[in-house]
Amino acid sequence: MSGQSLSRRHFLKTSGMVGGGIVVAVALPGCAFNGPHPIEVTDAGFIPNAFLQIAPDNKITFYCPSDEMGQGIRTGLATIIGEELDVDPANMLVQAAGSHEDYNNPEFRVQGTGGSNAVRVFYQPLRQVGADTRALLLNAAALDLGIPSEQLLTDDGFIVAGDRRYPYGDFVDTASSLEMPVATSLKAPSNFQYIGADAPRVDALAKATGTASFGIDTDLPGMVYAVVVRPPVAGSKALKFDDSAARIAPGVLDIVAVSSGIAVVAERYWQAHQAAKKLTVDWEKRPLSSVTSTQVRQDLSAALEANDDTESSHVGDPEKAFAEADRILETDYYAPFLAHAPMEPLNATLRITENGADLWTGVQFVGAAQGVLERLTGLPRGDIKIHNQFLGGGFGRRATLSHIVEVAEIAMSIDKPVQLLWSREDDLRHGFYRPAAMMKIKAAADNEGRITAWQARRSGANITAQTMKNALPGVLPSLPTGLLNGLVGAMDYVFDNWAVDASSVEGLHETYSLPSYRVSHASVDHGLPTTFWRSVGHSYTSFAVESMMDELAEARQIDPVALRLKNLEDKPRMKNVVAQAGRLMAAMTVPEHHHLGFAAHSSFGTDVAQIAQVSVTDGNIRVHKVTCVVDCGLAVNPDIVRAQLEGAVMFALTATLYGQIDLDDGAVVQSNFHNYPILRMNESPAVDVVIINSQTPPTGIGEPGVPPLAPAVANAVYRATGQRLRDLPLKLA
Amino acid sequence: MITFSLNGDSVSFKGDPNTPLLWVIRDDFKLKGSKFGCGAGLCGACTMHLDGAAIKTCVLPVAAAANKKVTTIEGLGNPEALHPLQAAWVKHNVPQCGYCQSGQIMAAAALIADKPDASSDDIDQAMSGNICRCGCYPRIKAAIASVADNSQSYDATAVEATS
Repeated sequence: MSGQSLSRRHFLKTSGMVGGGIVVAVALPGCAFNGPHPIEVTDAGFIPNAFLQIAPDNKITFYCPSDEMGQGIRTGLATIIGEELDVDPANMLVQAAGSHEDYNNPEFRVQGTGGSNAVRVFYQPLRQVGADTRALLLNAAALDLGIPSEQLLTDDGFIVAGDRRYPYGDFVDTASSLEMPVATSLKAPSNFQYIGADAPRVDALAKATGTASFGIDTDLPGMVYAVVVRPPVAGSKALKFDDSAARIAPGVLDIVAVSSGIAVVAERYWQAHQAAKKLTVDWEKRPLSSVTSTQVRQDLSAALEANDDTESSHVGDPEKAFAEADRILETDYYAPFLAHAPMEPLNATLRITENGADLWTGVQFVGAAQGVLERLTGLPRGDIKIHNQFLGGGFGRRATLSHIVEVAEIAMSIDKPVQLLWSREDDLRHGFYRPAAMMKIKAAADNEGRITAWQARRSGANITAQTMKNALPGVLPSLPTGLLNGLVGAMDYVFDNWAVDASSVEGLHETYSLPSYRVSHASVDHGLPTTFWRSVGHSYTSFAVESMMDELAEARQIDPVALRLKNLEDKPRMKNVVAQAGRLMAAMTVPEHHHLGFAAHSSFGTDVAQIAQVSVTDGNIRVHKVTCVVDCGLAVNPDIVRAQLEGAVMFALTATLYGQIDLDDGAVVQSNFHNYPILRMNESPAVDVVIINSQTPPTGIGEPGVPPLAPAVANAVYRATGQRLRDLPLKLA
Repeated sequence: MITFSLNGDSVSFKGDPNTPLLWVIRDDFKLKGSKFGCGAGLCGACTMHLDGAAIKTCVLPVAAAANKKVTTIEGLGNPEALHPLQAAWVKHNVPQCGYCQSGQIMAAAALIADKPDASSDDIDQAMSGNICRCGCYPRIKAAIASVADNSQSYDATAVEATS
């Protein structure tokens, strides 16, 4: 941990937790550690930390290491630790953890939330922390009560001795003097009381009463407000600007050039917003400045025609298998750029004093936000605190750092606490986007529907290099800028010339058992910033793969579900999901003029099949109902699993019917919800969710509901109209 | 100076009368439950009641609220005294990210006050001005329908009378 290490008590105090009680802390072997009860966790992949505080009044606080952006992670992780601690998550106070490396995501090795991994990676470690803590409390109670611990039980925050119940808080003093048990045996899943049961979200009440605090709700004494005028074309620098009219606008305090544009600082947000319109700025031209959406599509097609791809993976000899096939289908599918459009526009509030920096925001990447402030302010990392709030939607957008950089540059210029707020127009026009993708799928199936050869090729911009470009200054705060630029350049070079960015091609073959396949990629980057968008590469690859599965079924005159089952021989979990969904579909009766479409896709360790019930009237596609079958292993909170599938269907249906970011002269055309429409209630389908009963460890649920939806709808539209739509969003001829 | 009733209290605002009501409520009166989503009246995150009617306040000049009754989510109910819709929201586990939910609940409360027995179509129509990016629509609809089923009416002026 080095000199940046904070003392445990200091750390928790500055995280907003004061008062007595015990702090349950676990430390890496070899790290300096000042907490009262260090334990050693044997799971080598886990970087442990302080997750619990039990106060004498029996208030039990859980510091949640993952960021709550709607996916229900505070409830999910509280359920997991509460199960072994034996405390109902509803009776815990669940708070966002502060910024500290002990809260690192065990897989990312940095504090952050994404990739639908939180429940999966914290499932075992948080159960262990809960179990060890419960064992410690039992040992303390045994001493205090003079009863052997074997004769004591626990129940929802109480030690039970015969017919007497004692709050955990009664034993915290004694517990503080004992050694923390390690590797306490965990409950058998058959004994789970909270895991696997429907339960209320721990944040539902706050969010139903307007009392949940988001980054935008931060209000500090003496705080001023800032907006930034950014270039119409990403990355352009201001050549010159005239701020004479803006400077004299009401409430304006300062105008500051920052690396992304020109910031206007005022006493109130509205004043800054109004004054910003009075700025005139000449922006430099960039290569992107002449790019249009039409050109992007042409360039992506041309890249595939050039046949100069980089191979990602292959199995068997697909060329030989194609040569032996009696019928081959080869088809292009296209998906455009997309914006995330979280409901809470990006914002960040920063206060820098001689004692350090405090940032209030909602980020998916707390560790990198802290690192980027370390880099920009030069303050020691331990003096930079991230007060992460509820995130008003994330979807990948809040894993980027440009707004953190902006607020730091502004705060360092004006010497006041400042709140930076993006408008919706800023969000849609100056964001990071899901890259456009052209996919060419070539496939052959025998007359029984078994795929014999598969070739999947994708062209478009990569995600990982661009995202790292944005994140690395924060992830490696002490790396000199020259080396940093070199590293980013090298990454670009590698993905352009040698290796394939896994995010760009994920999902192009993995769902099925294919005897021969080849997946390859052609990088085409026009310079529009890209990043992860809920389900990432799967968001477009599923559309190509699952549309092709229906096209193959039609070519061979085989039922589409039967064809899929033929190609899932060594994928038993997905085979079961498809079989169950297929039985549901076969039993469905639909009104006249309604049609069913099927799709399945595996992502983030989770298998999902969806059946879309669709009608088409006067060229308008209406999705009436979506039935989902999901196997995500053990469902920690089945109701949240259902909610994630419901929400994923709506999120994906927006993309399927409307989602499209266009470029004109390099600038994003869409600006607000009138031309970047989001599905509304009167367009929303009913959603049924069937969760496969499973005792295997949990897998992802935030994203896997997204990928199958677009092809399920496209497959239904084909049945309704005979039109095979291969471009997203779906538009009938 | 513009004077209006805010959750039953008489308040005055001395700034630019063209300032949208949303920013006056959030930045001057420090009630943060109403949210900014689009600034163009397109998403409904900023929905409040103006004399009982659901209004998108990100495009409503504060001058339009002069001498009227403004009710925000904070005036509708609180964790200790929930409006029936808020209780239904919790019961149905409606929120995901939660950012739009104040606006959703205010839109729903105006509907229920107007039509205590709102039908499914009524709900669709009244709520189609409020975007939820997390896609909580099935639960929002179920929560509203459960209150409509109970015929529990909400008097939008009651909060003024009791405060």
